[in-house]
Amino acid sequence: MAKGFYTDTTVCIGCKACQAACHQWNELPALNDGVVELTGDSYDNTGRLSAVDWRHVRFIEQIPEDRSQEGFLKGSRWLMMSDVCKHCVRAGCLEVCPTGAIIRTEFDSVYIQQDVCNGCRACVPACPFGVVDIGADGKAHKCTLCYDRMQHGMEPACAQACPTDSIRFGDVLELRALADQRVADLRAAGVPAYVYGKEEIVGGLNCFFLLVDEPEVYGLPSQPRLPSEYVAEGLTFSALTAAAVTVGSVVAFRKERMDGMGGDDGDPAATVPVSPAGTPAPGALPGRDAVAFMHAIHGANEASRSRRPAAPDPTAVEGACGSGGCGGACGCHA
Amino acid sequence: MIAPALASALVQAASPYVGHGFPPHWGWSIVLYFFLGGLSAGTYFIATLLLLAGDPRDRETVHLGYLLSFPLLLVCAPLLIVDLGVPLRFWHMLVASERVPALLFKPWSPISLGIWILTLFGLFSSAAYIWTLVETGRLRWAPAVRAAAWARTRPRPLMLAWNAAGMFFGFGLAGYTGVLVSATSFPVWHNARLLGALFLASAISTSYALLMLLLFRRDPGGVRSTLGKLARADRFSIALELMLVALLLVILGRAARPLVSGGFGVLFWLGVVGVGLLLPLTLRWKAVQGWAEHRRELIAAVCVLAGGLLLRFVVVMSPQFPAVSLWAL
Repeated sequence: MAKGFYTDTTVCIGCKACQAACHQWNELPALNDGVVELTGDSYDNTGRLSAVDWRHVRFIEQIPEDRSQEGFLKGSRWLMMSDVCKHCVRAGCLEVCPTGAIIRTEFDSVYIQQDVCNGCRACVPACPFGVVDIGADGKAHKCTLCYDRMQHGMEPACAQACPTDSIRFGDVLELRALADQRVADLRAAGVPAYVYGKEEIVGGLNCFFLLVDEPEVYGLPSQPRLPSEYVAEGLTFSALTAAAVTVGSVVAFRKERMDGMGGDDGDPAATVPVSPAGTPAPGALPGRDAVAFMHAIHGANEASRSRRPAAPDPTAVEGACGSGGCGGACGCHA
Repeated sequence: MIAPALASALVQAASPYVGHGFPPHWGWSIVLYFFLGGLSAGTYFIATLLLLAGDPRDRETVHLGYLLSFPLLLVCAPLLIVDLGVPLRFWHMLVASERVPALLFKPWSPISLGIWILTLFGLFSSAAYIWTLVETGRLRWAPAVRAAAWARTRPRPLMLAWNAAGMFFGFGLAGYTGVLVSATSFPVWHNARLLGALFLASAISTSYALLMLLLFRRDPGGVRSTLGKLARADRFSIALELMLVALLLVILGRAARPLVSGGFGVLFWLGVVGVGLLLPLTLRWKAVQGWAEHRRELIAAVCVLAGGLLLRFVVVMSPQFPAVSLWAL
């Protein structure tokens, strides 16, 4: 049974109890070694989800440019949302992880095994939500859905600490039903609420949100993409290019000979197919110009040999053919 | 399959994907790995193809390619390991660390796919390296000589299959790096589905350039016929690369901004397209007044190599550090 969070942003009061409880339970250090740098962005001083902030409360101040028009606080809105790993049904980080460090647990959550992760960082750009981050230890970190607590039947620390039940923990299907009811109630009251994280968002989010504005307002992508989307296509195009390069190269290698066909300047000897190991295929040597061929090769071999510091070639019988490249065709060591 | 894929890509180009992911901070070691890995794969491919489709005059180039491929591959391993957050756990990508000795292979994860391609290509590249050392008389260690002699007597179909498999894994190494980059939810990268193809074409082209550069240094006269072949083949791969760059930009549409504007844009247009592709293509096409052919080819080869490195630099860095001034990197 899939477990997850239902985060109802309409009842979030921005107290950050979830962030504090998460830090405490998971023994997360302070961001930037506790040196506080004010972001200047509302009440937000941690900025984003990171290796040390697995919950992050966003403060979105929507205040009209000209406040005098509406009167005090009229026409303005303060949205708050406690962001977290979405534990996606189709998780980008899990797809790309090459070490098997990222696994799907028995609770259908996505968990990074710290004793396996080797810090390749593939999961960081793979997550469409900007959740996974690299810690000071060089390994990837994110919300574990309090895997340790769940194994003992406890709910995650953030959900337990939330004083307004903005964060609820439970079976995803039951939470969905709750959220749908809440959306209906809110809509009846004229609030354009909706659930972010149904099946159209990367197969569904086990940790989903109730929002009242566009996803982008909350820093969420309205159409997140999975990293594997174009892998098959990318490999296919690569294979086609490989075929093109091979054909192009073979044509380029043989153009001389093709141009020479029918003319006198061609070098028919060059058509001798040479097997990888250097011996001509039996019976492939054309009889017509074999003698010219032998002379040419012999001359070339002499030339290469004279340029190279003398080293006895164990593979050549007579040694005249320094590289053995003639494959015995030169006749010098027949 | 290709037509609908391109059509859907064009629709997306109009409204680019705005990812919310974070940059992985892949830096110089990854850029260098992409470049050197491509050269290792490309030199192996060219050497093998010359062996199969060339003539005996190309033998010196075959040996040169094989002598380059494996050492280049050896440089790649430390580059990748050093880049890890926990370098000593590099083997976790091959073996399931909690279920030793079970192997770990996730073909849908390009890094996992790539690490196996790299490992298996190492087998072919190292075998070719040893074979070349024996063939050229540099290695006289009895077991190696015996192994080379044994390999020489294998039936031709078997040798063809071996070489084809080696080229297959070489292509894998040259191309998977681009697929890896596009297997993200990151802006620019995610939609760059031709990146694997582009990196592959570039890997082959830079390898042609590297071989030509070294052959010229060695002896411009003795390998004249091979040089002609390499120049012709490189002209083709540069043209292919140019086409792929154009197609990639069309597919990316407005999403290509970080790549083609600002400081990185200068590098892309002047460095990658101008110096790396158009200049060598022109140099190979037309004679320059007062320049020997030799000199033209040398300059073209250096341009291609620089362009290949810059291509990887711009592709890896520009989406990650769009606001950073180039000089700070």
